[in-house]
Amino acid sequence: MDYIWQWNQIWDYRQVFVRGMQVTVILTCWALLIGLALGLLLGLMRSSRLMVLRIPAAVYIDIFRATPILVQLVWIYYALPILSGVQMGNIASASVGIGLHAAAYIAEIFRAGIASIDRGQSDAAKSLGMGYGQAMRRIILPQAIRRMVPPFINEFATLMKLTTLGSVLAVNELLHEAENLINNTYRPLETYTVVAVLFGLMIYPFIWLSQRLEQRWKARG
Amino acid sequence: MSDAPIIRVQGLHKSFGKLEVLRGLSFEVKRGEVLAIIGPSGSGKSTLLRCLNFLEEYQAGEVRFDDELVGYRRTAAGKLKLDSENTVRRIRARMGMVFQSFNLFPHKTVLENVMEGPLVVQRVSRNEAELRGRTLLQRVGLIDKIGAYPPQLSGGQQQRAAIARALAMQPDAMLFDEPTSALDPELVGEVLEVMQSLAAEGMTMVVVTHEMGFARQVADRVMVMDRGEIIELAPPAQVFGAPESPRTAEFLRRVLH
Ligand SMILES: Nc1ncnc2c1ncn2[C@@H]1O[C@H](COP(=O)(O)OP(=O)(O)OP(=O)(O)O)[C@@H](O)[C@H]1O
Ligand SMILES: [Mg+2]
Repeated sequence: MDYIWQWNQIWDYRQVFVRGMQVTVILTCWALLIGLALGLLLGLMRSSRLMVLRIPAAVYIDIFRATPILVQLVWIYYALPILSGVQMGNIASASVGIGLHAAAYIAEIFRAGIASIDRGQSDAAKSLGMGYGQAMRRIILPQAIRRMVPPFINEFATLMKLTTLGSVLAVNELLHEAENLINNTYRPLETYTVVAVLFGLMIYPFIWLSQRLEQRWKARG
Repeated sequence: MSDAPIIRVQGLHKSFGKLEVLRGLSFEVKRGEVLAIIGPSGSGKSTLLRCLNFLEEYQAGEVRFDDELVGYRRTAAGKLKLDSENTVRRIRARMGMVFQSFNLFPHKTVLENVMEGPLVVQRVSRNEAELRGRTLLQRVGLIDKIGAYPPQLSGGQQQRAAIARALAMQPDAMLFDEPTSALDPELVGEVLEVMQSLAAEGMTMVVVTHEMGFARQVADRVMVMDRGEIIELAPPAQVFGAPESPRTAEFLRRVLH
């Protein structure tokens, strides 16, 4: 154990980490937005009584869960422009790719959350004369969302870590910036340590929040 | 006009897959009448009640509420088609339903539970909804629990709140599915009292119950169901005193020991 840690060089390059973190956050936000919107839609479709809605949602969810995200990303970046003529930038491709992938998992969180609410709740809502949308919005979702928070935060953490795959599309997120830096400094150990700590610092507050919320809701019953 | 039955069921058939649960029931409920439904477990009592406000679809026969077909409409060719959600909702809003497991909304206070239907379905003003809510909660003896959440209440209190929630829609009829079966014995009385006062006011009620005392004293008629059929439908004195069917006699012997 005679490795000599050298941090001063890393400190000199701190701007590189800040830049990388900014891109990581942007990527996370876009992917999350896409994942949430599409995930909610897919989750509702998946819970529907109508086959025309249920089947396509199930197919989408299964395909995205059964194939590697790396392949999905590369496919969206290289194959989509050829097939559709739409050429997206690196960050946009990565956001969309990670967002589409996360949507499949978020859809399952929504579906399971909705399914976990006792049927008596929707019976009661319907017997008052509420429609499907009203019952969902006012009775089912508010209760289901509490149960979704822990798995959702979990998925959020996963998603933020998945943004490192943006590096294969040459997106300058935190990991990619760090790898470029290593080529100049030859300090991989220090650099990767900093990357790990930074990710931990970005993700941990959410895990903490989720635990607090869970405790509070449990206390009120 | 007011003599016409408010609920009219004709040849009602209902199956879950291959399992035939209701095998052609026909009966009527008059305005202001209290009909008690009794019968062994699994005989289809809950399913029948749920068909009345179309929480369950049925495969054959008719359910009519105030002369209107429930859940289906007749096409020009005379075939039955599922009715639009809006029509079904409008009919449901006129029938209150009370469940064995209360099914209050746990994320809303007692008062919010009672205001929910008037506010969201009937779109009355907040003031009007709150006035109705307070009046009804006063009536069922829960005025001091207005701000409580359902999990903080006893079973008897929850069921009284659930009755108030259904009444807030000012329904033309009330459906009760074993409203006291989930309660500790000492809490049954307070719920039955509320129901009895409703009956005395002339509310039309269909009550699935295991409380033979209630069926005997409050009901105008008692329906006995067995294996998806009506085996007896008569005033309580006749059902309990001189049942026509040996299956009724057998059932009553078992529940009354
Ligand atoms: N959603 C459902 N899917 C399949 N079978 C069902 C469903 N609901 C009820 N059943 C079946 O239908 C039959 C009648 O059930 P129902 O609940 O109407 O009986 P019940 O008379 O209310 O009994 P209990 O006194 O136990 O409440 C039973 O055999 C039951 O298993
Ligand atoms: Mg039942």
